[in-house]
Amino acid sequence: MATFQHPASLNVLQQFAQACSILRNTSRANHPAWYQDSLELDFQLHVRPDGPQISAFYFDRKKSQWTHGPSLTEEILNDPSQLEPILAEILRHARSNGATALGVVLHIADEFATTELKPELDNPAALPELRDTAASDPVSIIEDSSILADQASWRVVPYPASGSEVIGTTITLSRQYASFLETIRQTGEKANFPIITHALSAPLVAIMGLAQTLELTPERPFVSILQYPWFTVLAFFNEHADLRLIRTLQHRGVRRATNFRNALTTTSASLEFVDPDLFILPLGPDVDTTLEANLRVAFTTSRVESVIRNQTNGIPEWCPEPVIAATPPPADQTAISHTFSILRDEKWALQNFLPTPKEIIEIYPSRAEMRLLRALRLSRVALVAVTILFLSYFVFGMVDLIRRPEWSFEPKQADMIKTRLAKLNSERQKADHWNNLLEDRSKVWTAMEAFARMFPDHGGMLVKGYSHSAKPDNTAGQAKVGFVKEWKINGYARDEALEYLNTLNTRDGINAHFSEIARITGNAAFNPTTGNRSISVNVRTLENGGFKPVPPEEASPGDESTYPFTFDLTITQRFEATDPMALNVPKAP
Amino acid sequence: MHLYRQPIILFGIALPVLCAAAVVGVGYMVKSRMVASFENKQSTYKTYEQGRLAGLEVEAQVTRQRQHLDRWNEQLSQETASSVATNLREISEKLPSKEIQQTAFERPSSSGGFGAAAAQKSSQIRIAFRGTYRTLQRAFLELETRMPQLQLQEFKMDPISTHSSLVNFQVTYTAWEN
Repeated sequence: MATFQHPASLNVLQQFAQACSILRNTSRANHPAWYQDSLELDFQLHVRPDGPQISAFYFDRKKSQWTHGPSLTEEILNDPSQLEPILAEILRHARSNGATALGVVLHIADEFATTELKPELDNPAALPELRDTAASDPVSIIEDSSILADQASWRVVPYPASGSEVIGTTITLSRQYASFLETIRQTGEKANFPIITHALSAPLVAIMGLAQTLELTPERPFVSILQYPWFTVLAFFNEHADLRLIRTLQHRGVRRATNFRNALTTTSASLEFVDPDLFILPLGPDVDTTLEANLRVAFTTSRVESVIRNQTNGIPEWCPEPVIAATPPPADQTAISHTFSILRDEKWALQNFLPTPKEIIEIYPSRAEMRLLRALRLSRVALVAVTILFLSYFVFGMVDLIRRPEWSFEPKQADMIKTRLAKLNSERQKADHWNNLLEDRSKVWTAMEAFARMFPDHGGMLVKGYSHSAKPDNTAGQAKVGFVKEWKINGYARDEALEYLNTLNTRDGINAHFSEIARITGNAAFNPTTGNRSISVNVRTLENGGFKPVPPEEASPGDESTYPFTFDLTITQRFEATDPMALNVPKAP
Repeated sequence: MHLYRQPIILFGIALPVLCAAAVVGVGYMVKSRMVASFENKQSTYKTYEQGRLAGLEVEAQVTRQRQHLDRWNEQLSQETASSVATNLREISEKLPSKEIQQTAFERPSSSGGFGAAAAQKSSQIRIAFRGTYRTLQRAFLELETRMPQLQLQEFKMDPISTHSSLVNFQVTYTAWEN
């Protein structure tokens, strides 16, 4: 088992590490019993030392079942080596009964003493504060200034009865059983099994239980006489059953305090009790049984009664405190007076005289801190999961980017391709330039073919002159310039040729002729339908002044005088600068 | 009491949240930088791809034309007049000599025709022939096929006589030069 240190001796990081270690190595985070009161646990061990003997009983709260506990002696309680196997057996027994936690309740019945509060502390409203101060700083509230705070334990008990001279008193118990309870708690820590201890004053518990056992005389004060083996406690209640005073008389080796009757008489008188009822509670197996008879003789006008509590299975009738502490009675049984109500409801009678020291409690995180620690552990897991999800999203995104060809692309390649493209473009421009310059825009052989097909043999025409020219437009500052091709043909024509010449003189006629030449020669310059170009034609026919009519069969094709008409044909083909055949002006790149 | 609350809150949630936020922040920053770098590379890559595809297209065109261009370069680098004369001689040898007779070969010094409009270097050639129509057409077809740099500038035909099949041809070319 890890040894934990007080957090005040650790730095912040060590404190957190220790808290995590406690969370990991103990069941404190998920077992609420570590932070519960022992009387709230389902399985309890009640130990009652009354001086001559030590009684022990197990209590199964779920079954409301009491059974005998381990055999204990004062020697065992004070010797850890003897106590260890007993505690192991206790743990084994608890586990065998299905318990997940054990409450150890010590009913201290071998000592009881009262110490008066300082007289100036007379404000009943300050009782809750005094209750806390009694545990933390008893010296400040107790009249006896000679007390040693580390030698004993003090708890305030109020006197709720009206007219009380003091608001309460303190019950003093020694710390003789502190080491025993400490050993029990350590055993639980080692076994990671919650063992919660609680040290009660048995007489206080017995007083609290009077409400269930006494049959009170209305409007009459009473005195409860609690007979323990080593001392007797006198609890004085007024006619309203409210506590006015608690006195204790030590037996000092005999069975009854020698001044018992005197103390009872004088105290009753001082409290102005007239013929109070006297209830005797024997709370030990061998207490003085003659007390009742003696009191009947001495207090003839008082009701003297020995009170025996109904026996509970497994618990002797002289040992009622475990039953009173562990099993709360119905509410109507505690409502007989204010005293009995607050003794149980405000737990004045159930105060822990030997609680776990504060410095031990502080070693472990509180229940809220353990819950927070566990919740934050889950939160961290969620946080890590969310972080991993985010990182996965980022990583997948990055991997997706890296896997793309663009990622492994070297910018140098772009420069290389740019250089290469520039070179290729330059080469293409050069090719385009020469393609343009070398276009078949004006060729002799195609012009001759066009002429031959325009004036076929035996067509009734005789050509005397032919000229053809191609001239560029002189438009400065343009990247491309258009050009004009012109044909001038003159000659002679017979009657039958006039219709043909007239056909040529139309747009359709000349276009049909050029289209035919383009188709036959493959020369696109003659194609009138592409690009941005136009053709105009002008045919002028005149009578031949030298014409000499002859019979047609005598007319020679080469004889100009046999042609009645002369003709003059001008064809102009214009190519605009936007035509594909337009001429590039700049020099070759 | 509650001595552990501060360290639990500090180390249990505050620091882990800060660490997680830092890790996520670093991851986000790294990814953002990668995305920025990627977008830069993507832009470059896109340019590269466009350039590469355009280059392939241009290269295909250029490759197809390269042999012609090489031939043109070789041809254009030759002296025009001598090249024309040589080609005419070779063409004439394959044709009937009576049907084609070269009557003139001149090199006008003035710039004219297409050469006057273009910045490209050029020269003019004027050739005169006497011959039959179809034979000379074949000669011109052969010459202009061999020398595509010849652009017809002016062309005249005159029949010699009514009864002869011979025709006088006068052709002026603009010849592109490299």
